[in-house]
Amino acid sequence: MSWRAEPIAAGAGAAEWWMEEWVRLSAFAYRNLIMARRNVFFLFELTFWPGVAMLSHGLLTRFLDLTPQMTAFILVGTVALSAVQVCQLDVAYAVLFDIWSKSMKHQFLTPVRIHHLALGSWVVGVGRGVIVWALMAVIGGRAFGFDFLGAGGMRVALFLLGCFLTALVIGLLVCALVLLWGTRAETSAWAAVNFFVMLSGIYYPVSVLPGWVQTISAGIPLTYFLDGIRAGYGFPPRFAHPFVIGFALSLLYAVLAHWALAAAVTRSRRTGLLLKLSE
Amino acid sequence: MTVWPGPSASAGHRQVAWLSVGSTQRFYQIDPDGANAPAPAGPLPPAWYDEPVMPASPLAVEAHDLAKTFRSGWLRRRETPALRGASLRVERGAIFGLLGPNGAGKTTLLSILATLLLPDRGSATILGHDVVREAFAIRRRLNMASGNASFVWSLRPAEVLAFYGRLYGLHGRSLRTRVAELLDRFELTPHLKTEYNELSTGLKQRLALAKALLNRPEVLFLDEPTLGLDPDVSIRIRAQIAELRRREGTTIILTTHYMREADELCDRIAFIKGGRILAEGSPDELKRQIRIGDVVALRLDPAAPAGLADLAGVLQVQARGDRIECTVDSAEKRLSEILRWLVEQHVVIRDCQVHEPELEEVFVELAR
Repeated sequence: MSWRAEPIAAGAGAAEWWMEEWVRLSAFAYRNLIMARRNVFFLFELTFWPGVAMLSHGLLTRFLDLTPQMTAFILVGTVALSAVQVCQLDVAYAVLFDIWSKSMKHQFLTPVRIHHLALGSWVVGVGRGVIVWALMAVIGGRAFGFDFLGAGGMRVALFLLGCFLTALVIGLLVCALVLLWGTRAETSAWAAVNFFVMLSGIYYPVSVLPGWVQTISAGIPLTYFLDGIRAGYGFPPRFAHPFVIGFALSLLYAVLAHWALAAAVTRSRRTGLLLKLSE
Repeated sequence: MTVWPGPSASAGHRQVAWLSVGSTQRFYQIDPDGANAPAPAGPLPPAWYDEPVMPASPLAVEAHDLAKTFRSGWLRRRETPALRGASLRVERGAIFGLLGPNGAGKTTLLSILATLLLPDRGSATILGHDVVREAFAIRRRLNMASGNASFVWSLRPAEVLAFYGRLYGLHGRSLRTRVAELLDRFELTPHLKTEYNELSTGLKQRLALAKALLNRPEVLFLDEPTLGLDPDVSIRIRAQIAELRRREGTTIILTTHYMREADELCDRIAFIKGGRILAEGSPDELKRQIRIGDVVALRLDPAAPAGLADLAGVLQVQARGDRIECTVDSAEKRLSEILRWLVEQHVVIRDCQVHEPELEEVFVELAR
């Protein structure tokens, strides 16, 4: 092998290509994991806020003397919000870490592509989202008798996957906004999720929303995932095949969000924002 | 410096001596019978220089008419032209310096070449690849370090290198070996437990250089690599840059404010101001180009022979203590003529020193 050889030789076979893809993808997972391990704030994200949300909403259902079915309706929304929030933050961190440390250009100087950045950090987000779900399921079960798995294992798995795909889309959009507007758009990392979950019927059926808002809700994948999981707790589904529609929309939006982030990166190279975010 | 006999003081009937000039260690043959040309091999390279093996294509970087204007503001649109048609060619294995005052466009030019910025106009290739259309392909083969580099604050040196190493496709043992090698080479091993934010400026700079070498780049961009560093750290970093070219034949394009750094490291230099390249050449060529003149300082017996000022190419003769200083258009051309004339006049030459203009003087002249 030449001393100047590529880390993984150009023109290598499919196995090497996949290895290279995985290695680049794993870089972001590696960084997010280190940051999650080292920073107390990340532990708060994982335990404190989801725990507080589950306890406060659970207590609210007790106070309102809701039926177990209605309690499930509310607490499913609580879990969805926390899981999506934690997972999408991990995706957004792929850009935010570099914004905060002013090291953006080094990342985009490498032969990295948007999907490496997105999927690498998303994998860690999924892991952290599952931890959040498990923690909330335990708290919900022990404190309020809410059996999350009562909806059926497969349904829960599909619901969580749907939440994480929604998180991927939102995370990519946050990254795109930050690369379009710089640090001014940083707060969108926290605000964006709340906006989307509000429209998707987080603690209420979308039927209570005004008609034109319902039209918007119908375009949000999380609306369908919430509808799908709640059907498992005995609520009549509003949509036929909610998971199918939800996944189809998620994949479509993931592609569009990927394109939007790629376009934002290109624009930041044109405007010089990429350099400004590194100074 | 002084003239002294070379290792072979005579070559046939020719009297040969070695003369080093200023800090640049240029060597000349002093031959009363012939032209005072540089030694046949040209200026002798410094000790660290070892001619790298050159690939077939001679150019590492070629830029033509690059222009970039930054735009800002919503209601009141502001336009700041940063580059106004810059062109340059850099040979493989060369160290090329970009000099210029603040805001001259050095970093903009470097950033376009490093694929971090898209030009408004013009074209550039790195190793034959277009920096806009084939950016992804060439990113594997280039890297960059900045004087004010920053990395994720909570990461430790090895983690910074491991992260970027993965982005370059390194993995497993090759990643571990490369990271360990660079930590060792840049003396970062004692700081493995220190988070980036707690490293000193010098250590951060060394880490930036280590990061820039992860992928063994064929073209390396260094944006003010010794900015704000202590002199001893700067010297070490300059030595590492020189070593990099010597050992790996890396093409290096650096921006700097330090003339000595440019003079010491660069084969060729471009002066850039207001987004335009005003002059380009080797440090010696640039010094000659602005015609400041070289000074030949002589200690003679008799001290001031009449007629010296009338020799061709002598611009001025001044007495300074026990010496006389002759300002000549080119020491390279005139030194042997002066020495031959002195010998013919039976003047004893006790000492002879040649001073070329400092690059700083060239910079000041061009920056006006």
